[in-house]
Amino acid sequence: MNRKATNRMAITGYLCLVTSIFIMGMTATVDAQYYSSNAIQVSKDSYYLVEKYSDHISELSKVISVVAKKKPIRNILEEIAHKANLGIAYNAELGFLDNKININQRKATVGSILQKVLGNTGYRAAISRTREIIFVKRPPLPKASNEVMQKELTGQVVNAENGNSLPGVNVVVKGTTNGTSTNANGRFSLTVADDAQTLVFSFVGFEKQEVPIGNRTEFNIQLQPAVESLENVVVVGYGTQQNKDVTGSISSVGSDKLENVPVTSFEGALQGRIAGVNISETTGEPGATPQIKVRGTGSISAGNSPLFVIDGLPITKNTDLQGNLFRRRAAFTPPKANPLATLNPNDIQSIDVLKDASAAAIYGSRGSNGVILITTKKGAHQGQPQIRFSSYAGVQNAMNIPDMMDSEELIAYTKDSRNNYYLQEYNPTDPASPNYNQNYSPDNNAGRPADDFALIPNKYVNWDGTNTDWLDLVFSPASLSNYNLSVSGGSQDITYYLSGGYYNQNGIVEGSGFDRYTLKANLVADLSDRFQIGANINGAFTKHDRLPTSAPYFARPPGIVYSAMVHSPVIKPNNSDGTPNQLNGQSYLGGGTTSASNPLAIMQAVSDNIDNNRLFGNLFAQFDITPEIYFKTFVGGDLNSYQREFYRGNTLLYRTATEPEPYAQQSSAEGLNWVWENTLNYSTNFGEDHQFKALIGYTAQKETDKQNSVIAQNFPDDQVKTVNGGVIVGGSGQETQWSLVSMLARINYNFKSRYLLTATIRSDRSSRFGSDNQTGIFPSVSLGWRIANEPFMQSADFLSQLKLRASYGLTGNFLIPNYGSISLLGESNYVLNNQEVSGLGPSTLGNSELSWETTRQLDVGLDFSFLNDRIYGSTDFYYSRTKDLLLEVTIPSALGFQSALTNIGEVENKGFEFSVTSRNTVGTFQWSTDLNFSTNRNEVLALGPKGDAILSAGAAGIRHITRVGDAIGSYYGYVVDGIYQSQQEINNSPTDTQAPDPRPGDFKFKDVNGDGQITPDDRTVTGSYFPDFTYGMTNRFYYKNFDLSVFIQGVQGRQILNLTDRHMKNGEANFNSYAIENDRWISPSQPGNGEIPRADRNSALHGNNNRPSSYQVEDGSYVRIKNVTLGFNLPTKWLDGAAQKVRIYVQGTNLFMFTPYRGFNPEVNLQAGSSLTPGEDYGAYPLSRTITAGIDITF
Amino acid sequence: MKTMVTEMKKQILFLLIPAFLFVSCGKDFTSLSPKSQRNVASFYKSESDFRTAVNGAYDALQLNGTYGKNFVLMLEMRADNTENGGGASGLAASLEAIDKFNIVTTAEEIEQTWSDSYKGINRCNRIIDNIDNADFDQNKRDQYKGEALFIRSLLYYDMAVIFGNIPLKTDVTSTPNDKVNQVSADQIYSQIVGDLQTAIGLLPATYSGDNIGRATSWAAKSLLGKVQLTMGSKTDAATTLQDVVNNGPYSLLSDYANLWGPSNENNAESVFEVQFKAGGIGEGSAYTDMFTPLGTVGGVGGGNAPQQVTTDIHNSFENGDERFSVSINDTAATSTGWWVPKYASTPFGPLDAGNNWYVMRYADVLLMLAEAVGEPNGYQYINQVRDRAGLGPVSAAEPGTYAEKLLHERRVEFAFEGQRWPDLLRFGMAKQIMAAQLGTSQDQVHLLYPIPQREIDVAPDQMQQNSEFQ
Repeated sequence: MNRKATNRMAITGYLCLVTSIFIMGMTATVDAQYYSSNAIQVSKDSYYLVEKYSDHISELSKVISVVAKKKPIRNILEEIAHKANLGIAYNAELGFLDNKININQRKATVGSILQKVLGNTGYRAAISRTREIIFVKRPPLPKASNEVMQKELTGQVVNAENGNSLPGVNVVVKGTTNGTSTNANGRFSLTVADDAQTLVFSFVGFEKQEVPIGNRTEFNIQLQPAVESLENVVVVGYGTQQNKDVTGSISSVGSDKLENVPVTSFEGALQGRIAGVNISETTGEPGATPQIKVRGTGSISAGNSPLFVIDGLPITKNTDLQGNLFRRRAAFTPPKANPLATLNPNDIQSIDVLKDASAAAIYGSRGSNGVILITTKKGAHQGQPQIRFSSYAGVQNAMNIPDMMDSEELIAYTKDSRNNYYLQEYNPTDPASPNYNQNYSPDNNAGRPADDFALIPNKYVNWDGTNTDWLDLVFSPASLSNYNLSVSGGSQDITYYLSGGYYNQNGIVEGSGFDRYTLKANLVADLSDRFQIGANINGAFTKHDRLPTSAPYFARPPGIVYSAMVHSPVIKPNNSDGTPNQLNGQSYLGGGTTSASNPLAIMQAVSDNIDNNRLFGNLFAQFDITPEIYFKTFVGGDLNSYQREFYRGNTLLYRTATEPEPYAQQSSAEGLNWVWENTLNYSTNFGEDHQFKALIGYTAQKETDKQNSVIAQNFPDDQVKTVNGGVIVGGSGQETQWSLVSMLARINYNFKSRYLLTATIRSDRSSRFGSDNQTGIFPSVSLGWRIANEPFMQSADFLSQLKLRASYGLTGNFLIPNYGSISLLGESNYVLNNQEVSGLGPSTLGNSELSWETTRQLDVGLDFSFLNDRIYGSTDFYYSRTKDLLLEVTIPSALGFQSALTNIGEVENKGFEFSVTSRNTVGTFQWSTDLNFSTNRNEVLALGPKGDAILSAGAAGIRHITRVGDAIGSYYGYVVDGIYQSQQEINNSPTDTQAPDPRPGDFKFKDVNGDGQITPDDRTVTGSYFPDFTYGMTNRFYYKNFDLSVFIQGVQGRQILNLTDRHMKNGEANFNSYAIENDRWISPSQPGNGEIPRADRNSALHGNNNRPSSYQVEDGSYVRIKNVTLGFNLPTKWLDGAAQKVRIYVQGTNLFMFTPYRGFNPEVNLQAGSSLTPGEDYGAYPLSRTITAGIDITF
Repeated sequence: MKTMVTEMKKQILFLLIPAFLFVSCGKDFTSLSPKSQRNVASFYKSESDFRTAVNGAYDALQLNGTYGKNFVLMLEMRADNTENGGGASGLAASLEAIDKFNIVTTAEEIEQTWSDSYKGINRCNRIIDNIDNADFDQNKRDQYKGEALFIRSLLYYDMAVIFGNIPLKTDVTSTPNDKVNQVSADQIYSQIVGDLQTAIGLLPATYSGDNIGRATSWAAKSLLGKVQLTMGSKTDAATTLQDVVNNGPYSLLSDYANLWGPSNENNAESVFEVQFKAGGIGEGSAYTDMFTPLGTVGGVGGGNAPQQVTTDIHNSFENGDERFSVSINDTAATSTGWWVPKYASTPFGPLDAGNNWYVMRYADVLLMLAEAVGEPNGYQYINQVRDRAGLGPVSAAEPGTYAEKLLHERRVEFAFEGQRWPDLLRFGMAKQIMAAQLGTSQDQVHLLYPIPQREIDVAPDQMQQNSEFQ
């Protein structure tokens, strides 16, 4: 007798939950009976075959994990018995017991593992009446089958999408175990019985296909990739879930849409792809950060950026670390370099966006702007090492260049504007006038007084024929290239993914550009059958070469594009020696014209380089305490370092300056963000109908940012451009921190796979909140009903899935200033005895009750899938209401501050989202369509103690209002109500108190409040940056080895506040101007297009046409062909085994844009960081049209 | 089996290590105060705190909304000495509006003036409110409190001259809901008189070394005289100013030309100056940019239009007046090329000159005393100023009224020094002179600036627009 020893052990686990650790004990006693004879002797009634009874014996349906490598089957079986709480009995002489095998079964049932282990040993497992595992000999296969095998079938299996051969596809005769798998070239051969009816082809990630055999012996099979349907797994906060069980609103995008797209960050590739996620490329500058908003704008002055979580690590998209130039006005700061450009889009496996409160509430006070979960690529167990190389290269060109005047047009316009001023102010044509000018000519200065506004610039009276296209000079075609190499794979116990990437993009304004090197390693190892550890490390080295492009011509340094636009075409760009023409009064035409720096000189003299090096990643350990419970501890870190070097050289003269003002600023910054999370997961089934999952966790996170900066000037030459080349005149240093401690819990309950419930709760305590208000609690609940699984729906064959979802929850926004609750002092130095002395003054008014903003959101959604997943999609309605808005409330300046931070006010966002994927045709020619559509309506519900509107100064005075009933940051000004055509019309119209002396051709403004005159009270909302709706549509076509995709994306009903109109559409003609001014009102008989008032050099004294009004608000709707890709997969036979897959493609990005907007970019948003002043265009870096060609090789 | 158990125990122990390292659960973890910025709650305690805070209050006089730019525009360009000539682009059109009495209630200049002035007043209020609870040397505490009272009085005086009816706030702002209390200019002046009388008792008479540039008791007394004159209390003003003349430390420099340029600052004639320093440290002044036209000394930047010399003031200098060539460079053929050398600086950096701004100098004290004592005793003070300018004395014998002669003297003595508009107001000549100069009706000449629209929009039930703009 070889009695197995009773074993008794304690399984000890621990959990850290608010520092409490407890130990759970569990004891299992197993007594096993030994049978000396072969188990076959046992009578039929005395045992239960596992393959037959696994659903009836609870021990067999228990979920366990068994992982072993080269272990004798005997030991593995003992382990299974132990974990299953079963005894075991066997004849020690059974030969197979000593066979060593590998097994890797995670969370599988005991029954299935037993069958797996015994596999082809010739024995089957059974359970004896005394609850022992025993082994019965498998009955021999029917002899006949060997004899009737007659046919040899051969063939090849390829991927229907790209024609690549598919190795490892299972080929089985239906209803038998007779089968094989395809070889490296996708080929198979299989001998089958003469009467075999059907072959079944199956492969992970592809749809199963059944093919009648008939008389065929050769089979060329195309397998369809499985669609991204409801069966997929989605990432949710702190875990994953099957899409079919999700009750919140989550949208996912796979790697196919992110790889090989010529963008610097994944955000660019997401644009237009997801309903409810609105991404705007506010600038075309390489590497600049796009604006990303999930379901509208919930906050007025706190951050609106969603939370980004990369492989479980919540990171801060902290653009403040880059620092600002001391001498640059905040409003003219170009869009920040994108901190997320440090992540290589080709390393991303999937992106899941948590949109509603139920999904995002697990992130508590950081959830209300939505959560974007990024999962990077990992290796696969027992996969062959897969080496992949991909690369593309291309060229970019400026697009949507505005139509400016040429010399002749500008000269005519300038004369018109000077003449109108002269005629009105001096009345020179009336012989009775004291200023009568008998020599008056509209084309020269004969007899005119010494009034700069009345005189025509000499260069215009005597034009030398120069006609410079300044915009053409500043843009040039620029190259772009990308290289990626990755290796991934894994063995029994370990998986790996390693990659390296290089991306290089030059800007279409020469001197700007972006470079990135990335390295990534993702490793997961099983230390034992219950203990798993992993590491995920990302390193990125990026270099942003920036230029002052998104700023007006008068900014410091001046904006390149704007300087080019306002520059008069009569000026020659270069001196005879080839240097930019800056002196000799060339760029300044005299009184009444405005000077600008030569844009070519700015491009040459100014450099602004930002190096952003980032190291981020995590380590985790996961331990299965019991098969149902596992504990995970996760430590993540993000080290983000910036070096910035700005230099303004000696060669640039600012506007009319005759001396340069060289200076340099050197800044460095480092942000360290760490998080430690401990979570405990529990998962079990109660009987057949109840599935239950739970999660609890405790996390802590802290970020410390340090910055310092040195400024120098008086550089004698441009040889040394670092600060030591000049005289150091100042510097600064700063350190800020925030911290967050949280507890979280989630329950998922699933009844009969039809009724789903998810409930979450999180509490956050943050250093950012005021001392009197430090902890917030954020609960949510959601329900799902899988209608299609109801018995009464079984007859509805066309329906594959139908799920109704509803959720409600609370989330917060903690993107408030680090020290907003504290009254701070700001530097205000003075001079005494000709020495600078340090001074301080109160700079903010603190508030100890300051807290997060709270959003309550209701979401109702429907997920559907028809016709065997031929059409699937989802639709959502949501309503969210954010209260306790963090508001920089405008207060009387007499209080010493213009504003103060308080939690007050409410805003709502409501919207509708719809997305659908339809596979229109299948077969050799395939066509599928993705469509998404979303609307969002933003409305302020309450503000300030008395509901007072917030008037906000953007880059050019007060032009925005945030008031109850309108969208946040709506444009504010007078409303143009046409153009006065006659003096009589002026006399009959309400008096315009803001227009001293209007004449025909001037704007007629609207008396909004109807009080009979035009006053500041007639200013009203003139538009908003919020679009009415956004949409995206992708059509994909596959024919044989070719594929074509066309992606169209658009925004409708958005307005832009085009501040450039203040200069280039103002009628003063003191600049070069938009060509639309050619359609101006000239006389009653030449009224132009009815939208442009008359030219007048000093309109402020007359019609005051240039006041903030609807005139500067322009339609920013657009439709664009965002991407067209044509690909070709090299046929397998060409490859001859050299590679598994080779795809070549050409791609056009931003191919065409259709927009009524007059400027460069209808998505422009000068101050993207400020919700109160959105949508301003004050000089923009154009978007570019990019044509690339690429190759993607998998070895 | 035994090894397996051991293995697991090891794993458990391994996992326990971080659990015990987890020390961050306490409240302290989320109680973080600023590391790189001082905060109000922990400030206003030591002597150095207050010294720094007082420096910060002086700094308010350098802001664009105060003497940095706007006071100069609003108190000088609006009057008849300068005008906004050609060169104003569309952006600078609002400057022309100031010049021509077309200013609108939404003009950026008036809002900036308002907010920067009250920013400075709030800095002073913080000091005045906290200093009595501080515990350090009494003399220092007196001085700092006196300086804060002086700066606050100066800002209130200019604000009252510019806007007339403005809020009076003398306590610290504790919540955003604090009310504002709009009062008449006279109430502001009464407050100033009380504050300056207190300050005179607290401030030292002179400073030396690193303290040069701070407000003295004599500066406070001089300002008091000016405010008393503005209120029409000539008797009080005479007493105050006579004391400055008799007992104060001031004297006229022998050469008018020596008053100007960064090397001549804080001289014997200087009563109070706003201090500036060039060198790209953010302490430079903009006066060179404002008074030297395009291309002369280096150019004008930042969208500012130059203040151009009017032919009117050009012609009002008497022959032989030594002040003329110091005040006006008229070498250019036309008046548009004339400019003001008083504020020239070399080397020139845009918006970064070292030139200080005279708020008051002794010549002003003398002429104010002349204004206070009136005819005939005042002639002696006028003649002191004329004598320094190389001109002979005037007396009742010369044609014109006493007021005309005095106003003329002030005009040429303080040309382009921001005195002209308050002088015209005080002498009651603003409407008459400006209407004549601009060729408009007197109704178009507003004596006050409009209250910024924003201030009315923010607190409509607490603020009222000046009647001229309603």
